[in-house]
Amino acid sequence: MRDVLLVAIREIRQITATKGFWIMLMALPVAIAVSGFASSAFAPEDSTAYTVVDETGTIGEGITERLALRDRQQELRDLAEYAERYDLQAIDPQAPWADRQAWLSEAEVRRFAEAGGAEAAVERIAPDLPAGVPPFELEDPSYVAVPLPDGVALTAANGEMGSALQAAFENDIAVDGRTLPYGAVLYIPQNFGEPGAAARVYTNGRSNQTLIQAFRDGLDGALRDRMFAAQGIAPATAQAIEGMAAPLAVIDPPPGSGRTEVMTRSLVPLALVYLLLITAVTTGSMMLQGVVEERSNKLFESVLACIRPDALMQGKLLGLGAVGIVIVLVWAGTGLAGAMYFEGFAAEVVKPSLAALDDPLLIAAMIFYFFAGYIVLAMLFLAIGAVSESMQDAQSYLTPAILLVMIPVMILMQAAIGSPNSPVVQVLSWVPLYTPFAMLARLATGVATWEILGTIALMVAFIWIELKLLGRIFRASLLNDGKPTLKRIASWVRSPGRQS
Amino acid sequence: MPASALAFEAVTKQFGTLTAVDDLSFAVPEGSVFGFLGGNGAGKTTSLRMALDILTPTAGRIDVLGQPPSRENAAAIGFLPEERGLYKKMSVLDTIVYFGRLKRMEAGAAKASAMALLERLGLADRAKAPIEKLSKGMAQKVQVATALVNSPGLLMLDEPFSGLDPVNQAMLEDLIADAAKGGATVIFSTHVMQHAERLCDRLLLLARGTKRFEGTLDEARGALPFRLVLAARGDPAGLPGVMKATRTGGDGDWGEYAVEMADGAAPEGLLAHCTANGVALNRFDVHRPSLHEAFIHFVGSDPATPAGEAAR
Ligand SMILES: Nc1ncnc2c1ncn2[C@@H]1O[C@H](COP(=O)(O)OP(=O)(O)OP(=O)(O)O)[C@@H](O)[C@H]1O
Ligand SMILES: [Mg+2]
Repeated sequence: MRDVLLVAIREIRQITATKGFWIMLMALPVAIAVSGFASSAFAPEDSTAYTVVDETGTIGEGITERLALRDRQQELRDLAEYAERYDLQAIDPQAPWADRQAWLSEAEVRRFAEAGGAEAAVERIAPDLPAGVPPFELEDPSYVAVPLPDGVALTAANGEMGSALQAAFENDIAVDGRTLPYGAVLYIPQNFGEPGAAARVYTNGRSNQTLIQAFRDGLDGALRDRMFAAQGIAPATAQAIEGMAAPLAVIDPPPGSGRTEVMTRSLVPLALVYLLLITAVTTGSMMLQGVVEERSNKLFESVLACIRPDALMQGKLLGLGAVGIVIVLVWAGTGLAGAMYFEGFAAEVVKPSLAALDDPLLIAAMIFYFFAGYIVLAMLFLAIGAVSESMQDAQSYLTPAILLVMIPVMILMQAAIGSPNSPVVQVLSWVPLYTPFAMLARLATGVATWEILGTIALMVAFIWIELKLLGRIFRASLLNDGKPTLKRIASWVRSPGRQS
Repeated sequence: MPASALAFEAVTKQFGTLTAVDDLSFAVPEGSVFGFLGGNGAGKTTSLRMALDILTPTAGRIDVLGQPPSRENAAAIGFLPEERGLYKKMSVLDTIVYFGRLKRMEAGAAKASAMALLERLGLADRAKAPIEKLSKGMAQKVQVATALVNSPGLLMLDEPFSGLDPVNQAMLEDLIADAAKGGATVIFSTHVMQHAERLCDRLLLLARGTKRFEGTLDEARGALPFRLVLAARGDPAGLPGVMKATRTGGDGDWGEYAVEMADGAAPEGLLAHCTANGVALNRFDVHRPSLHEAFIHFVGSDPATPAGEAAR
């Protein structure tokens, strides 16, 4: 054990002395910081202010209403998902939010809005909220209508933007004590609809697609109404035609239920799969280089005169594992810190993900799969290093090995997200090389407990066997002057003897 | 005979169909300096590797410091492999300390011993330099230091002199002699007979895996007849101990003769006889066989094959 530690410490020092290690270690934190600052600097606030200047006096109101309804629709959708997840539909079975499909129907959304929207629904739920269920988080509306700021004129005549408006766009706008970005102004001329009389949208130059789309829908609707009227169609009929929508049901996976299955909708396991691949492949390559160097230098002989080949191999694995842990901890730590610090996108993804991780078995399984996967891959790299004479030689083994790992894992990730119970995923869960990836990916959507325990047992057995085999390859190849051919490698694996 | 630090008993090592070491038996007495001589491919390196448990013998028994080969002995052994190599990025000091630690030394002791060795090898000012910044010879001295750092009781050096300049070869000879004076057993393999002649108490001559000779330097030379050249007034054929005398030159009465002596007859005896009996001589050259000649005699080929290191 002492030998194993000595070797491990030397490996750690060697790896941490490389630039590559530090670049990799800092890559994620830097990326988080950059994207965090970038998104807090450039991303729009939750709400964007806009103005409709309507000289016709009829169209503008519809557009404002339409935008408000969109927010309500989103609210209803979130609320219904929340209600289903925590089994709250029984509190008010008639409410629009008790039905997960309700947001698809404009009538239901209107009913929801008239009943007071999410605010009223939250109040309704509050007294009956079971213990342990977090309250629904209300979100700010996406768009807030504001009057044209004082002293700002639209130089509507020539269509160019006046400097006062430009300044208003640049300076954001104060609404109810909050400062919101001022997104766009819609100008509808008196004679809108007549040839040559176009509505105009002045924007602050940032991407306001939804807003502009809403303007456009409103204007289109107004034109259609006029046309209907001109054709003598009654307003009620016209509305019915406009409100017509193809019957549509959207089937989502049920949000976390957690009775017979261990499940989380957490992103954490999926993130771990990528983290696993990246760290294992990069640190593995570093170690591979080290092993090839030792081999081509005939360095092993001096070392092997002092310690057993097994101790050397285990020391290398341990060192590599420790480096991996450090990288993962630093990444996870900065990820969390970033999520806490930047109250933007990261917080919205990371916080709920972590909140969903409440089952100790799940957490333990995740950690196990991660390290089991890491060790399995590390051993693969070590084996390649042990049978390679030079880096070129290693490359010729490495490429097929990486493909062997990557391609099924990529397929698996796709499958696991789309249809977690498809046969591919089920089968790969029980193929040791892919077990950690498959199971991590599946944890995101739910796996039976027996499968978790079974695959853990499988992995333990596999790692034990792999260690033995690798020990043999190591012993045989390090001490053999000859070039390791496939045939010889096979014979090393088969016989516990030391030479071919 | 003192106990042996290393003993081979009928050891055979086969690589597939090739027999690298064939039924080899020898013993290295404790405290001796033991030379392992043999041409390329004779099996020297293979034998040392077996003694270190890096290779396992196909048959036979090996005893190292009274035990079968194992890493249990690592703390008492210093080994310099034939193919040199060190971690390129590691510093000189760290490298030596690392090997000291692998040989069960405490960090402090390893460091102190490493610094002392570097001092002695003239590399103290390079202690912090990474190995890749050293010349080949310097790196080799560092590797010698990794073998010596634990003050081993048994030192095995596989061709320790190759790659060193004459000054450093002399320095290494001193190191080996000092280790032996300190009571260590030293085994080294070489192609260069001069080193063996200067250092060894005992020798083993190997050829194609088999033992051709084991014994002291004098025994090795004594196994070959010496050459005697003398210039005498008459034919020396009748003198005691002379088997055959061939005239090779000279003029008139004075002839130059190459003399072959009978087994066991010493040239000193002949000289004494001549002086005592007034046999007129004006030259009496005894040419003792060198180890080189003994090597060729036993091994049947010149040690300095093209692939060898003996060209220096
Ligand atoms: N790992 C191995 N696999 C196969 N054959 C080997 C192996 N190691 C050594 N041999 C063979 O064993 C024989 C003895 O080799 P060894 O290295 O012991 O010779 P040596 O006396 O050290 O020679 P040199 O003076 O050239 O170093 C050689 O014929 C060599 O080809
Ligand atoms: Mg050799």
